[in-house]
Amino acid sequence: MSFTMAAGRLVGLSLSRTSWILSRGANTSSKTLASPNKLSDPNNDLIRKRDITSCSVVQPLRSENKVTVNFINRDGEKITVKASPGDTILDVVVQQDLDIDGYGACEGTLACSTCHVIFEEETYKQLGPISDEEMDMLDLAYGLTDTSRLGCQICLTKSLDGMTVRVPESSADIRQSDGSA
Amino acid sequence: MMQQMMRVSWRGVSPVIKWVEPVAEVRTLDQMPGPSAVRFVLDLLANRGLSRLHEMQVDGRRRFGPMWKASFGPVLTVHVAEPELIEQVLRQEGHTPMRSDISSWKDYRKHRGHGYGLLTAEGEEWQKIRSLLAKHMLRPKSVEAYDSTLNAVVTDLITKLKLRTQQNPHGVVSDIAAEFYRFGLEGISSVLFESRIGCLDAVVPVETERFIQSINTMFVMTLLTMAMPAWLHRLFPKPWRTFCQCWDYMFQFAKGHIDQRLKEEEEKLARGQEVEGRYLTYFLSRAGIPMKSVYSNVTELLLAGVDTISSTLSWSLYELSRHPEIQASLRSEVIKVLGDRRIPTAADVAAMPLMKAVIKEITRLYPVIPGNARVITDRNITVGGYVIPKKTLITLCHYATSRDPAQFSDPNSFTPQRWISRDEGNHPYSSLPFGVGKRSCIGRRIAELELYLALSRILLHYDVKPDPSSCVVRPMTRTILVPDREINLQFIEL
Repeated sequence: MSFTMAAGRLVGLSLSRTSWILSRGANTSSKTLASPNKLSDPNNDLIRKRDITSCSVVQPLRSENKVTVNFINRDGEKITVKASPGDTILDVVVQQDLDIDGYGACEGTLACSTCHVIFEEETYKQLGPISDEEMDMLDLAYGLTDTSRLGCQICLTKSLDGMTVRVPESSADIRQSDGSA
Repeated sequence: MMQQMMRVSWRGVSPVIKWVEPVAEVRTLDQMPGPSAVRFVLDLLANRGLSRLHEMQVDGRRRFGPMWKASFGPVLTVHVAEPELIEQVLRQEGHTPMRSDISSWKDYRKHRGHGYGLLTAEGEEWQKIRSLLAKHMLRPKSVEAYDSTLNAVVTDLITKLKLRTQQNPHGVVSDIAAEFYRFGLEGISSVLFESRIGCLDAVVPVETERFIQSINTMFVMTLLTMAMPAWLHRLFPKPWRTFCQCWDYMFQFAKGHIDQRLKEEEEKLARGQEVEGRYLTYFLSRAGIPMKSVYSNVTELLLAGVDTISSTLSWSLYELSRHPEIQASLRSEVIKVLGDRRIPTAADVAAMPLMKAVIKEITRLYPVIPGNARVITDRNITVGGYVIPKKTLITLCHYATSRDPAQFSDPNSFTPQRWISRDEGNHPYSSLPFGVGKRSCIGRRIAELELYLALSRILLHYDVKPDPSSCVVRPMTRTILVPDREINLQFIEL
């Protein structure tokens, strides 16, 4: 299985449906993330996934090289997933079908700031430098903090294993909670 | 991180407080102020209002506050002229944002049976093309790949400028925007077709001039045809007819180039040669997009790459010629980054903060799109304490916010430094020349790169001064914002 996955990724081809389902099966998480009907049309997800990946890091062959990422969702719920080094945080959200409304609206093309996430200070310091393009978009993010970054620009590495990222409240959530929506 | 902390502190307002405030009192459109229908029509048609639309944003805010309603022709539109409120609209734009559901551009396409392009398509049709093109046009890494293509066009621009300066005893180039129109068209063509169409040759091809003229006339007619009520169209059919003729030519021009380019590819294939295009028409045609849609998309991309580049480059040199000290600093920055080299790459530009600040400041002062629009089709939204019923046309008054003294000190002055020191405290949504979000300008990064590369090279070759006999140039609305008269500049070879 892992050979199929790695080969598919290395040559940049779409994965077969079988390996897609298998690879999803390999992703462990602390809660059930995907409803079964979402598996019925893997091609759509796949296309999106391949489009979004922006880090040109060769994927590792073994699953023990996976990186654990903890998300704190908008409602405070903690979701733990395992993902591949080289994937961006946006890739992870898409691949794992994390239910974050409106996340990554521009599909990782740096035209919006909807993939905004907040890091813990120690993790933030380990992240790569911010490009001017990311900085300009981050400026427009809702609920900007000192340790904010755009998820589409953060590639997972082994050293980030176990990190926790918080998805900030969106403007829509707040309007709903105060009843003005 | 320090840099980011500084950025965060000036936005120190808690987002919760910001959103809770409008709940106190929710008002309806009936309670919204605005000019009377008669007054607005008079302003538009009698007082040169159509070319002053950007100033009418500023007038409107002074008279009515941050939100007002007005009827543009048969359409009621809500104007929003405060950055916080523009942010509120854009955050509620939905999954496939719509600019406007009524437009003469769409009418023309329906009338002629053409397809829609990125500027006119909606919903899933729009999303498909947007996703396909955005990854080739917006991702910084993808855009870097265009630098050598664009540099070749800049080389031709420099050659053309040299020719023009030699034709005048004082090195004055009159109507610099006309030269930059051709540069813009050549630039976007090279990205779309990966081939050159000769706009910057000593003798400009007739079709090129006609294409550019068609764009200009079409923009004038766009506002006129939209402002005219139906009965007036029956009395005066000429504006609509002219508008259609302009579009006809633009579609014909694009189709000619696409067909020719794809024919070349087919011939190559027939000869057993490999075909590996890196140009946008190729990506579109290989993605199984119907040809009708390829034609309309390429037409709209060609159109979108011309005025935008031309106006911004013209204004840049206009302001730099009037601020020789800033021009000198910018030239020093370019020389420092390039060292012995004469041609910058995309990577070089990343190390030019003043260059980026100059373009930010130029697009703040002269945003090519002075007012944008949104229609939320499926639900009512609340903005600034007003309920805006679904399907209402919302006009975002970017020109008014980017010239607002509450956002920018001395807002009418050219001060690129404000983008470097960042001590203005302006709201991040106060200057949005490219828009924001998934319906924002798809050509943004290619345009920025093109501007950086062109400006660097021009400043390496020339000291640019105002034409001694020239006067002040102001912006004018022609659907988009353009200089109200010719910009003439003196180029002194360095």
